[in-house]
Formats: sequence, structure tokens, C-alpha cells
Amino acid sequence: MTQRMLEGFKVIDFTHVVAGPHCTKILAEHGAEVIKIEPLGGELARMLPMHREERSGYFIQHNVGKKTMAMDISTKEGQDICHGLIKQADVVVENFSPGVMKQHNLDWETLKEINPDLIMCSISCFGQTGPLSHLPGYDWIGQSYAGIIDLTGEAGRTPVFGEYAFGDVSTGAHAYGAIVTALMHRLRGGKGQYIDISLVEVLFSYHEMNVQVCTSSKGQMVAKRSGAHHGMLAPVGIYKCGERFVFLLGVNHQWAGLTKAMGREDMLKDPRFSDLIGMGQHKDEINAAVEEWLESVGDADKAVAILQEHGVPCAPILTIPEVIEHPHSKARGTVRTVNDAIFGEVQIPRTPLRFSEFPEPPDLRAGTLGQHNHEILREQLNYSEQQIANLETQGIIGSKNI
Amino acid sequence: MPPTHILNGIKVIDFSHYVAGPHCTRLLAQHGAEVIKIERLSGDPTRKLPVQKGGTSGCFVQHNLGKKSLSLDLEKPEAQGICHDLIKNADIVVENFTPGTMKRLNMDWETLQAINPKLIMCSVSCMGQTGPLATYPCFDYIGQAYSGIMGMTGDEGGFPALSGMAFGEISTGAHAYGAIVSALFHKLHGGGGQYLDISLLDCLFSYHAMNVQVYDASNGEMNPLRSGHQHPFIAPLAIYQCKGAYLIIIALGKQWTNLVKLIDREDMLDDPRFADPVSRNVNRAELTEAIEFWLDGFDDVDAALRSLGENHVPAAPVLSVSEVMSHPHMIERGIVQTITNKHFGDLKIPASPYRYSLFPEPLELEAGLLGEHNHEVLSEQLAYTTEQIQILEDSGVCSIKP
Repeated sequence: MTQRMLEGFKVIDFTHVVAGPHCTKILAEHGAEVIKIEPLGGELARMLPMHREERSGYFIQHNVGKKTMAMDISTKEGQDICHGLIKQADVVVENFSPGVMKQHNLDWETLKEINPDLIMCSISCFGQTGPLSHLPGYDWIGQSYAGIIDLTGEAGRTPVFGEYAFGDVSTGAHAYGAIVTALMHRLRGGKGQYIDISLVEVLFSYHEMNVQVCTSSKGQMVAKRSGAHHGMLAPVGIYKCGERFVFLLGVNHQWAGLTKAMGREDMLKDPRFSDLIGMGQHKDEINAAVEEWLESVGDADKAVAILQEHGVPCAPILTIPEVIEHPHSKARGTVRTVNDAIFGEVQIPRTPLRFSEFPEPPDLRAGTLGQHNHEILREQLNYSEQQIANLETQGIIGSKNI
Repeated sequence: MPPTHILNGIKVIDFSHYVAGPHCTRLLAQHGAEVIKIERLSGDPTRKLPVQKGGTSGCFVQHNLGKKSLSLDLEKPEAQGICHDLIKNADIVVENFTPGTMKRLNMDWETLQAINPKLIMCSVSCMGQTGPLATYPCFDYIGQAYSGIMGMTGDEGGFPALSGMAFGEISTGAHAYGAIVSALFHKLHGGGGQYLDISLLDCLFSYHAMNVQVYDASNGEMNPLRSGHQHPFIAPLAIYQCKGAYLIIIALGKQWTNLVKLIDREDMLDDPRFADPVSRNVNRAELTEAIEFWLDGFDDVDAALRSLGENHVPAAPVLSVSEVMSHPHMIERGIVQTITNKHFGDLKIPASPYRYSLFPEPLELEAGLLGEHNHEVLSEQLAYTTEQIQILEDSGVCSIKP
């Protein structure tokens, strides 16, 4: 087997739930040795659905490829083990609330003394500094503070949020990129360093337009949630067709294709629709024409086929089962199956980084709670069986088949 | 010149346009790489997007900081020859045309690999380079519809809702950045060049932190469907109203105990209907009523948020983009970056979420005018004489220097 890109690099992982674990999962998928240290009761993700024989599919998805240790890091013995492992490690990743690592003598100031070449990455909701930094956070908390949820939903009604964790997962991917960048810096002769990644900042960077448009127009152009249709451009939005929904976009050069597809070439010559601004001002007329045409077609698949023939960007709005079964997903291997010893087969999304040198994602498994306690203490820190037994008796380390 | 950032000395030839590809190469530039952006003679279409000042688009500036602009007619063999010569001495090529376009322009991986065997080439696309959907015309929202993201956003049973920003494109750019740095790291470690296939669809689908495995593992019994402002499987995880303002509250693990104590409903701790996040969701009507009753006792939403924060229950106000920009936390963290562009003037954009202790300040970068660096790149990097450049300009191979 070809050596994967990060083989030989060691990561000590203090993360939980999604953003941090997703980052260390990508590190593991690139060949790094990841040792995940969990509290004795297991991290929160182990409590999230689905469960089979107490084993969480959610945990498996975000923790494949990691060795697992469970220990009480509030004890001196637990901290000694962590320090011993970190001395030999390249990377530490954590996503506690800021301050927690310091409380356990695992903060950057302490760790860089132990290992000056170390790269430490802290992932948090609000960042390590600033007035909100101490607050607990999740993806949707970050989305609220980043101005994302406010832009999602029908105008004048309760906003809605997407039922997926794009903030957490993509923050993990940002942290991954930052860590490999810092590793590269070290490889070229640079020092170890500390990386501060915040969910709110990652989410805020997704405003590809809203921030500059708001300030550059001196507050004249402020994005607002506008439900199924774009607030400023038309036709850009979600339309009903038969019993289903279709997204389509017919601005710029696609407008000609769309009018042809609809048999409404007359609209091309209408001066009201001669440019983007005019089309935006008359979006009600345009949307009505699109709706009328879609109603006449009556079938979403048929409408999508006609639109695609005319080069109009469009898509059926798929449900999760439809995405899993879609021929394109099948052809690309977008859904991966993990074979878990307890849970059985579990389907998860494939990590989106595809390399020609490493075309297949590695076949990795997720550890049970504390599965590798003995192996790591014995092999990496030369603990004797007696010492390990003592740690277990004192309740400093533990394991459970979950 | 002393190195200013981690990727100093790395050269990138950038054929990207719109957002996903340009965001990737902007990140490369922000990390110190030399990025030469090759544009068609009419320029990247984002040069026409709002807001315009001094003949420059704020949108273009945001996504193209730090790049040199070389403007060529890629249909002409002379222009392709220039590209090949530049790529001979480059480390990375990034492009985000529809699959097939680079081959037509003699710039596909097979051709470029033969020119530069150590090259890393990254293609960013909506649907990926393979599979039945590969060549469909696309934008962020098309990927959102095909990945099941759009279908999971909006009110239950009603229209799906658009999200008000291009989180797919920006985060796909960040994924591409991470993949490129991994491949560079591999090359520095003695590995070869390689080809990277990064798709918006893959990235968006990976954001289903829960939906795919839950659907699969429950044999379709738990079918993820959009559920407006409440999470479909987990409670409490929802948007609530307090004195006319919206806030989001999420309480998992021990935060659930914190919440019920705070709202004076400790009886729920012993109630089997509220034993875990899934059963709390089944009985969420009663839970929502209890939370809103408690919220109703506050004079305003800020007081409620303070109380939730002090009691370690994750909660957030649903902020608009302008509220985010004026929030004290965001100001202290510098989440908004002000760019001074010599044509546009001051421009506010989201700051890069990558924060390194060794490189605390972002580089001061400028976005080029169309073809601004034609002469510089051709004469300094490919030793063209002024006469040769003049001939290229006269024959329409490259644009006239602005």
C-alpha cells in the first residue's frame, strides 16, 4: 500500500461532537495516527442517534480511523499521560470552551514548553478571545451570530435553519487546512505554532457578497431572507412543479435559454427584462411566467430535462434518500459504508478531498470507548501492566464497549 | 525579501472564475503563494457584479485579493503556449471550468502532467469530473438541491427556502485549499505531483453530520425532512421567540440539566418522556411551551440570553449581517477586514478564518485590474520582449494593459 500523505505524524485529539472530530477524522483519513482522548463516560457524540447495542452511528461517522483512550484528565496522572503523549506528537487538536484546556494544564503555554515543535489547533464557536468566547456554542449558535439564520426563511416570518451541520463540518475542514499548512511550515524549517479557528468566523466568511454589498452601498442594499426566491435577482429560486420542487436560475446568458425552453421568446424582447436590474424589479412577472410554464409541464423530471437541454442551470430538490440512490452519487461513491464490529454497516458521506495518488478512501473504523488505553500506554509510554491496572482501579482510565 | 507567509515561493497558475475556485486561490495567496490568475479577455464575470466603484467590483476584489492578473484569449494557440510555459515552472494549477473545457484548451491533466510531472492540479467543479451530472451547468444552489441540502431547509410541508449566501462555494474553496496543501506536503516529503477532483456536491453532502447514517441505520424509518425552525430528530434545538425577537436554544448532554433547572422544570429530569434528545423531540410541544413560558418572563431577549449564557445553556440571538458587523465580539476579533483598493476605495469583507500564532496579521493584498500584470509576468517570468508583447496585444492573444 502506498504510504498516505500524513503517515508518520501523530495527533493527540481532545475533541468532541462534530467540528473538532471532523478535523481529526480528515487527519486520520490522510494517514496520521490520531489518538482521541475522551472522558470516562465517553464524549457527547456517543449519545446521539442512531444507536444499536448502545453503539452510536453518529459517533462512528465522525471518528473513523482514530485510536481511543478514555481517562479523567482532571487528575495529575491523566495529565501526565497526556503530556507524555504530546511530547512525542506533532499536532494537538481540541474544541473545548476556551479555558478548559488551561484548567487541565493542557494549554498552549504549557504544551509548547513540553514540545516546542508542536502545532496546536483550538476550534471553538467564538474564538479564543473576545467577549463571547466563554459561551458554549454549537453550529446553529454560530450561524445565528454569523448572520446566516437571519437570511434563511420566508420574509417576515420565523427564520428557519438547515437540518445539517455545514458550520461544524466545514470548520473542521478549515482547521484541517490550517494544520497541514502549519505542518508544511515546520517541514520547511519553521517553528511549531498555535492555531485559533472559530466557527462564527468560518460561517461569516461564507457571505460571498452580503458584507461588501451592505457597506459599499452605505446600507442601501441589505440582504434579507426571501424564502424560496432570491431577494435581488430573478428568476433565481425554488418553484413548484407537479408534486415536487425544482430550483432554477435564468439570469445572464441563461435567460435566453429559459425563455426558449418556456416558449416565451417574447419576454426576451420586453424592455422591462433587458438587464439584471430590470429583471429584479419585475421579478413577480418573471416568477409568474416560470410558474405557469412549470405547471403546464406538470412533472419535475420532465421540466429538469427540458431546462438542461436549453443550458439552464436547474435541479430537482432531492431528499436524503433520493441523494443516496441517485446514479451520480453511485457513480462517484459519494456515500461510503463503514463496517463497524458492533453497529454493523453504517452509511456516511465520503470526505470530499479526492487525490489521484490516493483514489480510494482508506477503510477505517471507529474505536469503542477506551479501546486503545492499554496498547498506547504500553507501547508509546512504556507503562507496565501493573501501572495500567492501578490507573484502572483508581478510576483514572476506563473502557466500555460502546 | 524575507518570507512573509508559509507558502512563499510556491507558484500557482489560476484559471478559476466566480467564487469557489477564486476563493481557493485567494487562500493560497493569503498564505504567501504567488498566484497568477489567467482571465478571458472580457474578464472574470464577477468583475461585473455589484457594488461597482471606480470601475471595480467589490465582489471581484473580495475573492481575488493577492493575485496577479494575466488576461489571455485561451482559444488561441499562442495563449495556450504562454500558459504551458508558465505551468512548466509552477507548483499548482487550479481551475473551475465545466469538466471538458480544460481538455479543449489543451490544458487537461494528461497534457499538463507531461509538461510538469511534479505539478499539482486541482479541478474544482459543481458535480465532480465524473458521473452522469458532471457536465451540467451549475451554481452553488444547484449543488445544494442535488446534495439534499436545499430539501432540508424550510418549513415542514412548505416550500424549501434558499440560504442567503454561497456557503457551498466558499467552503468548497476551503476544502480545495486543504487538499492542495496536503498534496504540496506530500510533494515536499518526496511524493509526486497529482490531480485533485474537488466538487461542490461532495462538500455539501459531507455537511449531513447526521442525516445519512440516521436514514440508513433506521432502515428509512427516520426519514430526514425539513422541519422549519425545529430540528427533525433532536430537542431542544430550535428557534424561539422572546418579545418579538428570535433566539436559538440548544441543550444537549449536561446542558439539558442546566436548562430545566433554569426554567424551573426539574420535574422533567425524572420524566421518561424527556429521557434523551430523541424522546424530548417526540414530546417537543410541551417542551417548547415550557421554554416559551419562561422566555415570556423577561423584559427583552438580551436579558434572556444573559441568563442562558450564565447558566451554560448554548443560545444566540438571530443577528442580521449588519448586526454581526457591529457586534462587540466581532469587532474585538476583527471578523470584518477592511481592504483598501486603489480604484474602489475602502471595502469591508469577511476576514479569513485562518489564524496562526506565527502569522497573526493578514498580508496586505490587492486585487488586480484585468490584465494588470500582463507585461510583468510575460517579461519577468517568460523573458518576452516589449515587441513580442506588442504583437500579442495586436493579435488579440492578450488584452491591452489597463
